[in-house]
Amino acid sequence: MNTAINNALSSNAAAHHPAITQVIRRQDTWLGRDSTSTPQAKEYGLSSGFSSLDRELYGQGWPTGNTIELLSDGGGLGAMGLFLPAMEKLSQQGRWQIFIAPPYMPYAPLLEARGIDSGQILLVHPQNRQDLLWSIEQALRSGTCSSVFAWLGNDNYRYSELRKLQLAAANSDVLSVLFRTRQAGKQHSPAALRMEMKEYRRVHILKQRGGNQYIDVDLSSDEDTPGQPQLWELPAYPEGDACATPALSA
Amino acid sequence: MSLWLCLRFEQLPLQALRPDTQGCEGQLLPVVVLEKQRVVRACDQAAALGVRPDMGTATVRALAEDVRLLERDPQQEQNCLQQLCCWAYSITPTLYSWRQDCLLLEIGGCLNLFRGLQPLLDRIDTDLSLRGFSYCQGLAPTPKAAWLLSHRDDDNQQDPLEQRLAPLPLKLLDDFPRQTDALAKAGLWQFGDILDLSQQALGRRCGKAFTLFMQQVLGTHYDERPDFQPPQTFSDHYWFGYEVKANQELLPAMQMLLQSLCQFLRNAQLQCQQLEWQLFGIQRQMSRLQVRCSSSQADWQEWYRLTELKIEQLQLKTGVEGLALHCESLSAGHYNSDDLFNNHGQHEPLHSLLDRLHNRLGLQAVHKIACRDEHLPEYASYSSYQVAQASSLTKETTQRRPFWLMPAPQPLGQQRQQLNWNGPLQLLAGPERIEDNWWMEAISRDYYIAQNPAGQLYWVYRDRLEKQWFIQGVFA
Repeated sequence: MNTAINNALSSNAAAHHPAITQVIRRQDTWLGRDSTSTPQAKEYGLSSGFSSLDRELYGQGWPTGNTIELLSDGGGLGAMGLFLPAMEKLSQQGRWQIFIAPPYMPYAPLLEARGIDSGQILLVHPQNRQDLLWSIEQALRSGTCSSVFAWLGNDNYRYSELRKLQLAAANSDVLSVLFRTRQAGKQHSPAALRMEMKEYRRVHILKQRGGNQYIDVDLSSDEDTPGQPQLWELPAYPEGDACATPALSA
Repeated sequence: MSLWLCLRFEQLPLQALRPDTQGCEGQLLPVVVLEKQRVVRACDQAAALGVRPDMGTATVRALAEDVRLLERDPQQEQNCLQQLCCWAYSITPTLYSWRQDCLLLEIGGCLNLFRGLQPLLDRIDTDLSLRGFSYCQGLAPTPKAAWLLSHRDDDNQQDPLEQRLAPLPLKLLDDFPRQTDALAKAGLWQFGDILDLSQQALGRRCGKAFTLFMQQVLGTHYDERPDFQPPQTFSDHYWFGYEVKANQELLPAMQMLLQSLCQFLRNAQLQCQQLEWQLFGIQRQMSRLQVRCSSSQADWQEWYRLTELKIEQLQLKTGVEGLALHCESLSAGHYNSDDLFNNHGQHEPLHSLLDRLHNRLGLQAVHKIACRDEHLPEYASYSSYQVAQASSLTKETTQRRPFWLMPAPQPLGQQRQQLNWNGPLQLLAGPERIEDNWWMEAISRDYYIAQNPAGQLYWVYRDRLEKQWFIQGVFA
């Protein structure tokens, strides 16, 4: 194998040698240099629906077949809104979109209005941490899900546990997102992409395999489909007057 | 040409009772089955001690000291025979049970399927020894001749039928005791003796019923009987013969039973959605284990995977001695095909993930969500482990709605004229009035969008009748 790689490199045909291409195609192969120029990079991204974000993402979109970590606290400022356009696209595949240990219940009429078939949504409520990890792994491996969203909560997870999930996601085309607390950002993680959201419409990329890191990406509102309910915009109906005088004295 | 196979279970009275033959020091104990205080069958150990059929209880006790005496259970024998019929239905559809201890199978039509007679007989032998039955077999062109020949050990199929029947004693025909006695008095003991006689002469001596029987044996008169019809439910069991303590050790037997279930389902063109395992402990106490599947299945591997999940969680209180598999609600089979072009690396049907989650986490742990045509947000969206087929919602929702809805609205606290939910809330937009339910308990709410200091937006409302603030959703 080593000689094959050496030969291929020396003949300056790395990208065309079958053995090398196979290695590069593996989604857990780390490509050191700026590889947006390699054609493979464009193959697997699932467009996020935000062109500014797509530009910064290696693969021009969400790296499916990898775990994505989104670090946030509390309700997670717009974290789901970030994935709504992708969910809408994935909805056409007719497979499950699974929410494992979600904090609350997704509001079905909103999903329907955003073009997501609510019949595909599964909410899984595992009782303990073991069942939680088991459910995520099953969902990632089964191939019957187009997206997996899992809320890992406050717990600390060993690198090996997260690595197991990363491996389960590899060799599939699942959009797999793990929601963790911002505290977890200090720990080492095998995820291909780690992001943080501190405010609506601004994503901070903490780590990105093969791409830019430590950058803020602003998501413009120009690309919102008109007529769809938006999570991040204030409504068009008049504000101020009505709002200033709610009878607070209950 | 039709070929009948007779499987005669001589020891069925004994084997149907599944006696515990293990002695305290591990040696095998003699077991005897009695009917009206007379020996019906004795096991090999008892026979070696000299116990013979028709002996009285006292004689048996004299011959064998630590003998186990069991009462014959004809109902149990019938159940066994019924199960054997189900098993044999996978070999041939033309079969019936006969004389309380025999199965008659027409196998002439399925020899090609099993690639010849010998492979078929080998398979029957393996299956029956796995089930713990000993049997004698006979092969002949007619069912009754097959039964007669099952009493012969040194049967050569190449010979003509008359020649093969000739050495058999007439005593076998215990349905005709008067006739065989009369023939014996005349010095006719074997079939060979009466096969030489002319039909008319035999008819005059022994009567119509006897000649009809002989004609059916020889195939000159057609022997017609209704075929066995498979039952509409399935149940089968397996006895280990020893105590099983580890869960994993149950799996091979479960696999075997599931295979036999799926064989049955395939034979009968049925599918099932739910099955029940019964685990019998050493004191015959029973525990049940139910496995469900969201769609009808006839694939044993799928059932096996789901059973495995249940077994992983199972905690055996006592050792298990036997296993039974029951399946009651069977439905007509229908088979789905996969999408050939657009399957996204999907190797299994959608419901299989659901079934795995159900079986490990429980039915209540997996919810689906759906919309309802209602004004109140908590009714418009609901989640349940059982969701009716979602109705298509035509109403256009372009208003601002949160992504997350709390399971129930939470009352909001107030501090110094300011709403508080993990910090002070500032109302940004609203109100939007939602009123409903006036015919029962009227509800009237003003919805606002509120922001906390971190910038997080919430969906809050003021109940106009209760004059109380609540938080119901999170924009995330």
